[in-house]
Amino acid sequence: MEFEFTEDQLELQRAVRDVLDAEAPPELARAVADGESDGRALWDTLVGLEWPAMALPEHAGGLGYGWVELAIVLEELGRHAAPGPFVATATQFAPLVLETAGPEGAAPLLADVAAGRATGTVAVDEGAGTWDPAGVRATARRDGDDLVLSGTKHYVVDGASADEIATVVRLDGDVRVVLVPGSSVQAHEVVPIDPGVRHSTIGLDGVRVPADRLLGQADATGAVRRALEESVTAVAAVTLGACQQIFDIINAHAKERVQFGVPIGSFQAVKHKLADMYRDVERARVLVYYAALTLAEDHPDRTLAASMAKAAAGEAQRRCVQDGLQLAGGIGYTWEHDLHLFLRRAKVGELHLGSASHHRRNVARLALQSQPT
Amino acid sequence: MRLTYSPEVEAFRAEFSAWLDANLPDEAATAVRPRSSADIPAWSQQFQCRMFDDGWLVPGYPPEFGGRNADLYEQAVFWEELGRRRITQSFNPQGLGIVSASIITFGTDEQKHRWAVPIMRAERTAALGMSEPGAGSDLAGLSTRAVLDGDRFIVNGQKVWTSGAHHADVLLAFVRTDPDAPKHKGISALIIETDTPGLVRRPFRDITRPEPDFNEVFFDDVEVPLENLVGELNDGWRVCTGSLAHEREMLWILWSQGLDRMLDDMLEQLNDGAGAGAAGDPVVLDGLGSSIMDSWALRLLGQRQLARSRRGLHVADQSLLKLLGSEAQQKLALLMLEALGPAALDRTVPPDAQSPYESDRAALSWADRYFFTFAGTISGGTSEIHRNIIAERVLGQPRG
Repeated sequence: MEFEFTEDQLELQRAVRDVLDAEAPPELARAVADGESDGRALWDTLVGLEWPAMALPEHAGGLGYGWVELAIVLEELGRHAAPGPFVATATQFAPLVLETAGPEGAAPLLADVAAGRATGTVAVDEGAGTWDPAGVRATARRDGDDLVLSGTKHYVVDGASADEIATVVRLDGDVRVVLVPGSSVQAHEVVPIDPGVRHSTIGLDGVRVPADRLLGQADATGAVRRALEESVTAVAAVTLGACQQIFDIINAHAKERVQFGVPIGSFQAVKHKLADMYRDVERARVLVYYAALTLAEDHPDRTLAASMAKAAAGEAQRRCVQDGLQLAGGIGYTWEHDLHLFLRRAKVGELHLGSASHHRRNVARLALQSQPT
Repeated sequence: MRLTYSPEVEAFRAEFSAWLDANLPDEAATAVRPRSSADIPAWSQQFQCRMFDDGWLVPGYPPEFGGRNADLYEQAVFWEELGRRRITQSFNPQGLGIVSASIITFGTDEQKHRWAVPIMRAERTAALGMSEPGAGSDLAGLSTRAVLDGDRFIVNGQKVWTSGAHHADVLLAFVRTDPDAPKHKGISALIIETDTPGLVRRPFRDITRPEPDFNEVFFDDVEVPLENLVGELNDGWRVCTGSLAHEREMLWILWSQGLDRMLDDMLEQLNDGAGAGAAGDPVVLDGLGSSIMDSWALRLLGQRQLARSRRGLHVADQSLLKLLGSEAQQKLALLMLEALGPAALDRTVPPDAQSPYESDRAALSWADRYFFTFAGTISGGTSEIHRNIIAERVLGQPRG
């Protein structure tokens, strides 16, 4: 095992950070939080830099970057609490289309995504909060050359704004994926914790699409699960980035904030909280990049690794949000301070695509099953 | 980043594995067990000696000191193979890992051959005299006094927590040689034969077992030849921190393997229905998932440290790894104890629960395992001290 970035990966990290430092400063996240920006300008810039094409396969018009490189980008997006459709499009929509339609079938569908002309998302969960395709009850039925959909989807990221929604339904009892134009559904956007990550409830009743929008030939349960392993790892990477930012803000604060005549970082009660935050962030970091590596190499451990990454990121955000806000003191509780922008991004990461506890139990079950007897 | 080692490193693993197949002592020969952490039974002494002679004891060392100049990844797979086969590198772990390592790093050529090589070949055993009744976390506050008188030191004072001292042939003891200097600058390191007149050892029990391992060691006008000074006079703090940091890229592996050893047992026992079906309890599953993540995180952080070290980058995560490893072991043992509930009341350990080649501490009852994990969170710097170290030396917070 060689568990450190290559020179090329470090160079990519620097480049991505430079772009986002310039194009997605805290002022942008703040403007989005204040309802003064929809983040569209950032997306246009990233499209100009070919980011949407980055992780897509070359035959689909992409640049063919690996998953470790994608995780580097995602972590930086989290570190900047950047708004926009990158995460849902590149790590939810694209993997699900690739897994269900196969590389050749997906290529024409992803060409617009690669070119930045279309955004996408996925609609899987129906309120259970587990994103388990086995729990899907929404349906599609054939009607002539069309499919007619029925049901309700919950917690759809960018559900009110994405151009295409890869929607998981049952057709003749099988789990299948249908591409639904965002304009054809009734989207009800929830009031967001983090206005840079917006979830919607999607009403599918009566939505009619041509039958050629049905992806793949067979039951897609396995394909959905594989795609979600990428989505879960991606949210973990974004959450990791937000946690790193919270940690950096608080670690600097503890050196600068003077009380009783000394920096508060000289107190053991503060030191120990910082050490625990650092530990949890580093633990999440290695598990996120391990998951990215198993995805990059399509290693059998990817299922376990994705759950470990999501759970570890969830544990890190719990620690960093809790102790970060506490150690920041009153200033961190104000709207004017940047801290809350990252607290929001970190907390949202925990609340969708399966909680830390859900994924920890998944990890345990996988380990018990694989124990040699 | 990649998941696998190079073919060269895997070839190294295969070579070591084949050597173990050919040289591991017969199980029947292993009935005699070590009585303390400085007591090596004859069968194990012969095996350790063979490892030294064939260059497999400390692969990172040159051949004259029991190695083969292995690089860090080769050393890592060496440890992986020992762990996988449940073989303890030495039944005198501090003698090999700290005392002989300190002499190799800081001693003269004569000292290396007179002391370090016999310790590595298990012909002699050694214990480490660091802590004192008044110097635990504040180790540099030690007060055992050594006065230089011509070509010998006269030592007076007391050490405590000295593991295996009652069976050890020699101590590496840290003593105060300049009481007027700042506390870190008046310490020296001495090798002291345990049969020297005036040296008295009093073993005492810990809370997990009947046979004592800890000792109080009393020095009453103990004469130590000047030639037993390791490193320069009053430069013993460097030896002390150097010895604790020795093979610092590798120390995490022992925490990692100890944790995995427990985790394997826990998974096996839960699958066998232990704890009245605790494997189906969502609270147990939640905790188990976290422990599995600890195990992976420890291994990955350790591997990252190896990768950074090979590139010549500064390695700063030893405290993090120690903290994570020791507390993860404690968390897991407590979880299993609670998962078992009344089934954990019986401290009996099945006779086949451990390998004959590993320490008899490897498969204690879960109650004893839980108590034993405090040896991890207290010794070698308490968890509280390591949190301070992380905050100050890694995160740059002010000392206070």
